[in-house]
Amino acid sequence: MDADTILADITQMLGQVIGEDYLLEVDVTMDTAFSGDLELESIEFVALAGLMKEHYGAAVDFVGFLAGKDLHEIIALRVGQVVDHIRLCLEAVGSRG
Amino acid sequence: MADVVANGVRFHVQQLTPPQGRSAETPAVVFIHGLVMDNLSSFYYTLANPCAAAGADVMLYDLRGHGLSERPPLGYALEDSVDDLVGLLFELGIDGPVHIVGNSYGGTVGLAFAMAYPSRIASLVLVEGHFAVQGWGEEMARTLWGIAFGMELEEARTWVASAGRKMTRMAGKADALINHTSLVEDLLTAIPLPREPLATLACPVLAIYGDESDVIDRARDLASLVPDFTLNILEGCGHSILMEVPDHLQAVLAWWFAGRNGPAPVYQPPARDLVAAHPLAELVAG
Repeated sequence: MDADTILADITQMLGQVIGEDYLLEVDVTMDTAFSGDLELESIEFVALAGLMKEHYGAAVDFVGFLAGKDLHEIIALRVGQVVDHIRLCLEAVGSRG
Repeated sequence: MADVVANGVRFHVQQLTPPQGRSAETPAVVFIHGLVMDNLSSFYYTLANPCAAAGADVMLYDLRGHGLSERPPLGYALEDSVDDLVGLLFELGIDGPVHIVGNSYGGTVGLAFAMAYPSRIASLVLVEGHFAVQGWGEEMARTLWGIAFGMELEEARTWVASAGRKMTRMAGKADALINHTSLVEDLLTAIPLPREPLATLACPVLAIYGDESDVIDRARDLASLVPDFTLNILEGCGHSILMEVPDHLQAVLAWWFAGRNGPAPVYQPPARDLVAAHPLAELVAG
């Protein structure tokens, strides 16, 4: 799955969490920061991560991804970092089988 | 599963499974957050994911009226919080003993659950947990009134409005909870936890408190009552240790869940001038 497709998926899930109307005012790119640019509340980021977990299943390890980051790093996360993590996880699964 | 209905209320729940999968020995750990300005994200961002990554089956939920859970007008007494936990465990099919990690009021819920359902708790970790003694409810209610009063001030309203979407939403939720539910009234009529049963509490209790915390006396009180009680005091820290020193808390939890082998990790305070205010610290009031 390429980065553009994953970015589109995440943008759609963001709409579910914070509302499509709010997203109309923001262009979500790989460089968009969840907290700084989208003003996502911390609980909304959790909800987004929950949707991503449901969407991509066990192939994408969100627990390991977030466990390896400290509080400041999670708050500063950009959309592209999550897209890249998902893409690498899916590629690893694809190459295994 | 994000939404779970228990006791007629819709709760926001997050379950984190260990990446290596579950086994019969996988411990179940439930995280319970504090009051009003808090929600499950404070544990999600700090201890929950590392705990799951280390091999635990983790459950977090937003208390009623908090985070993304439903906000009914009634049902905010400590007994209601315990009933909600029991209801959620039932709905999720978690019937074995669980480890509970509670921050502030979440610790009070864990303590009350341990006393009411001793066979259903494997261990209890209090992170700056309140102990519901005489006057506790009034004290908590006074704190919440302070927040509500502060938000009514013109300067506060102007500041919140200028601080953007995130702050406006958080202030709105706190206002709704304090002024439009029975939370404050329920706190004012709170019944203190009985002291005698604490002396027969069978589960191990780990208590982590800052030595500058306003509830440190509660920890010392509990230490004199609970038989298997481990007190971990952090020098130079206040009530918001979850946000101030999450790395230390991670280390202590890892030691606790690995069977308490060897001495507990000791907190090494940084030099005073290196301590920076944490961006989330001021949000965790209860």
